[in-house]
Amino acid sequence: MPVINISNLTIRFGPIVAVDDISLSIEEGEFVSIVGPSGCGKTTVLNQLTGLLPPQAGQIDILGKTPFAGNPDLAYMLARDCLLPWRSALGNACYGMELRGVPAAEAEQRGLALLEKVGLKGFEQHYPKALSHGMRQRCALARTFCLDSPILLMDEPFGALDAQTKLNLEDQLLQLCQDTKRTAVFVTHDLSEAVALSDRVIVMSARPGRIVADVKINLARPRSVRALQKSPEFHALYARVWTELEAGMQVSGASADLVT
Amino acid sequence: MTPIPAPWKTVLGHLLFCSVCIALWERGAASGWISQAFFGQPSEIAAFLWKGFVTKGNLWIELAYTLGSAVAAFVLGSVLAIAAGLLFVSYPRVEKLVEPYLIVLNAMPRIALVPMFLLWFGLGVGSKIAVGTSLSFFVVLANTVAGIRGVPADLLTLSRTLGATGSQLFFKVTLPSAVPVIASGLRLAVIFSLLGVVGGELIAAERGLGQQLAYLQSTFNMSGVMALLVVLSSLGLFVSTAMTRLEKRLQRWQ
Repeated sequence: MPVINISNLTIRFGPIVAVDDISLSIEEGEFVSIVGPSGCGKTTVLNQLTGLLPPQAGQIDILGKTPFAGNPDLAYMLARDCLLPWRSALGNACYGMELRGVPAAEAEQRGLALLEKVGLKGFEQHYPKALSHGMRQRCALARTFCLDSPILLMDEPFGALDAQTKLNLEDQLLQLCQDTKRTAVFVTHDLSEAVALSDRVIVMSARPGRIVADVKINLARPRSVRALQKSPEFHALYARVWTELEAGMQVSGASADLVT
Repeated sequence: MTPIPAPWKTVLGHLLFCSVCIALWERGAASGWISQAFFGQPSEIAAFLWKGFVTKGNLWIELAYTLGSAVAAFVLGSVLAIAAGLLFVSYPRVEKLVEPYLIVLNAMPRIALVPMFLLWFGLGVGSKIAVGTSLSFFVVLANTVAGIRGVPADLLTLSRTLGATGSQLFFKVTLPSAVPVIASGLRLAVIFSLLGVVGGELIAAERGLGQQLAYLQSTFNMSGVMALLVVLSSLGLFVSTAMTRLEKRLQRWQ
């Protein structure tokens, strides 16, 4: 029984077909990345799952329900940290739980535990302006994992970070996912990140976005993103996904604004 | 001798400068080469203040009238403006309809409304509060609308996906995010209220510092006029410092 089932989803913005007839099903506990050239509609698909956009042609089923805003089964994370600047790191970590009615004392305990896990111990009372980009995104990670939601939706959560910080946070994410079994849908344009984190990589073509490949990543878990950088298996998979992506661009006749 | 720390040096410098100026003024006025009729005399000014606030105490009442009216004008103007701002943001069509009239009203020199307000609300505090309100309202309104419109869309999106209700969005995201912008509007509104009230009192009033000022001027008591100017500028300084403090407290996170 898949956790997320998307069938024949087509998304139009006026006359433009952004996403064309996508079907995808994601099993419980799977980590699935969606990659593709910019403008291929990968973020649009993710936003469709959050229920913030009006429903479109096709069917979406999340744990037996159609998408709706504020679905407690989902935890959403964006490229920008979206921390509330007037709240401390702890206040931000607890924000999602607060909105979902977790009792304050319990929320604080969980918030403190998660902040420690992501390496922000000692920064609980700092305001976001006093934190670096990486630390802010760690805090957003803590806010996301404080929620019990079985499904994580992540839209390029590490897109705005430098390479070193990114590797650290990817490892952090792998750790958190291993500790608490979750299903994750991860949108990125970084193929190496997608291969390192995922069980499956979905490759989309340029607009109109279609699924051109569904690549199984059978690297052993637990993984370390840093160690993978030197693994030949990892590079073989990376090359394969890259080939699929290139093919997808040619199919659509898109200009070669390649992404790495 | 230990050296004097730098900030104290500046303070001492200012004190010295002011003392020299006041001494020259006093000396000049006493010997007649600075006209007392136009500039007053520092010792007379001090005596006027001493009498007004200590021995006779009559200036306290005038101060209370002015300050009370200014506070009333500030509160009334701000509350109305924040309510109108919320209305405008919730119903942009209302804003579109009302905006041209507000622009015309705001373009009018508010002091020109005093004669009409005097007829409508009488010689007492009512007309002064009306002038002050007409000034404070517009500053706060503009800042309220700007503050609420300026809420980052990302924060709202994230909160919605987390399941925030309409009132949670307002109290946990929109309002705190708009507070700094609204607060700087409120700081200006305090000064504007005071300006409106004193302006109204100068034209026609029963009580208040502005009314006293007009009276002293008409009796050629320049030392009295100068003394009241000292009181008014101290009052302005006091309220704006208090507002800045409050603003800082509200936005420790910035």
